Amino acid sequence: MSSALVIENISKSYGPIKALQGVSFSVPEGSVFGILGPNGSGKTTLLATVLDILVADAGSYSWLGGLPPHDARKKIGALLETPNFYHYMSAMDNLAITAAIRQAGSADRERVLKTVGLYERKDSKFQTYSLGMKQRLAIGAALLGNPRILVLDEPTNGLDPNGIAEIRQLVRDLSKQGITIIIASHLLDEVEKVCTHVAILKKGNRLVSGPVNEVLINEDLVEVAAGDMSALQRTLQQMPGVKTVTAADQILQLTVDAVTTQAINDHCFRNGITLSHLTVKKKSLETKFMELTNEPSKN
Amino acid sequence: MFSLLQIEWLKIKRYRTFWVLTGIFIVFILGWNWLMSAGVLTPGGNAAKMLGMNFTFPDVWFHVGHNTKLFSGLMSILVIILTTNEYQFRTNRQNVIDGWQRTQFFHAQWSIVFVLSLLITLYTLILGLFFGLLNGSPLSAAGTNIQMVGYVFLLCMNYFGLALTLSFLLKRSGMTIVIFLCYGYIAETMITNILRFKFDTRMGDLLPMESAANLLAFHLPDMAKQMMGLQPTSASTLCIASVCWTVVYYIISRIKVLKSDW
Repeated sequence: MSSALVIENISKSYGPIKALQGVSFSVPEGSVFGILGPNGSGKTTLLATVLDILVADAGSYSWLGGLPPHDARKKIGALLETPNFYHYMSAMDNLAITAAIRQAGSADRERVLKTVGLYERKDSKFQTYSLGMKQRLAIGAALLGNPRILVLDEPTNGLDPNGIAEIRQLVRDLSKQGITIIIASHLLDEVEKVCTHVAILKKGNRLVSGPVNEVLINEDLVEVAAGDMSALQRTLQQMPGVKTVTAADQILQLTVDAVTTQAINDHCFRNGITLSHLTVKKKSLETKFMELTNEPSKN
Repeated sequence: MFSLLQIEWLKIKRYRTFWVLTGIFIVFILGWNWLMSAGVLTPGGNAAKMLGMNFTFPDVWFHVGHNTKLFSGLMSILVIILTTNEYQFRTNRQNVIDGWQRTQFFHAQWSIVFVLSLLITLYTLILGLFFGLLNGSPLSAAGTNIQMVGYVFLLCMNYFGLALTLSFLLKRSGMTIVIFLCYGYIAETMITNILRFKFDTRMGDLLPMESAANLLAFHLPDMAKQMMGLQPTSASTLCIASVCWTVVYYIISRIKVLKSDW
């Protein structure tokens, strides 16, 4: 699969603060690529750098197999941080400028305004829009001219639950059309629901990147309980395949490696313990994310 | 450049402040020239009038040029507002995200400066012809001193170029306007006078805005200049200085826009 974006060793500092430290990864064409990280991890700095808003101290990037950056950006729809429009102009007039710069033709404006649900307010001035409407307009502008890549930085900021669901569906629909979508977010739920690939940043370092189902493996947790919890804990700690045993509120939480619940039940029964509680619980993405981002940085 | 201007026009044509300031500029200059030509306004008092101030060719070019200079600060403020709006709305970033190169954004702003300067020069030319003919002088005499209209262009490029450069550097409209006005109308005057009267040198004439302003100084007949002992810096020196300063603005602002974070 060819790459929509290749990032190689990008570093960026703001005085003594190292916002990005040799970050490298590539975004496969046609993927929905999530850039995850806590606040201040460098997500927006990275996107601003590859969109030529910030100047990198070191490293390089290439879009769509090495197109000149400004030509590539004409094929990229991007929403970076905040919706940026001329406050005194209407949605239609603002989109006319976007279309002119992208050489997209202004006939597409009504279509994108309908897509993001702003058609009824197309002639209202931008300054009269709510935060959610501004965000929708920014997404609409990004869709002008059928871009090959969409870059969305915190796209659901300011949207109500319906708006969030609509954007999520829009991302899925666009992805089906083969558009590469890069989403920066600290909302794990957002990434988990729509992304095929992910890169996780922390303090300017790339911790990990790759397909979501490889990077964010949702290890299962097994919860057990019995009359004698001490005996149960001793027994399970000796069971082959049980990696960890953690006591929590009258239950034990186990992480296991290729061990079924039936095998756990049998093992306990053979050791004279009858289980009163046995259930499998999915480990939350949040837990996994916290584990990853709480590990010491690689650099 | 034409496509850049087309896009800049899309931004400007809906901006009420642009039309208000432009309207004030057009009306004020027309009115000011009219009142002076009618003798209602007499800058310099009756002495200047006695020494031969009139709105016929070729002297009319001195007066309309000087009067355009008086109001060019207003259009400098417009340049500042238009440019700092891009930073305030962060549309400078969006323009680049949407596919402009940084140089295109930079040249789009300079193209406004250029076109505005050209239009004001043209307006001054029309005013000069209008008042010259209105006051009964023949068109055949219009060619003498018409270089004053060219000086208007140099002055506008200089003033607007400085306004643009300060806008790129400071990014905030209020601060940029205050610094521009304080520098141009107070600091330079003080420095020039200190150099002239304390150090007996006219080097102050070559300061950034002074170099252009002195090209369009209030017109005094040669006889009056001799009586007052004035030996102004030559127009060619001022022209070179003014063009050089405009080039300096271009270079400084280019480095700032191309090399820094947005």
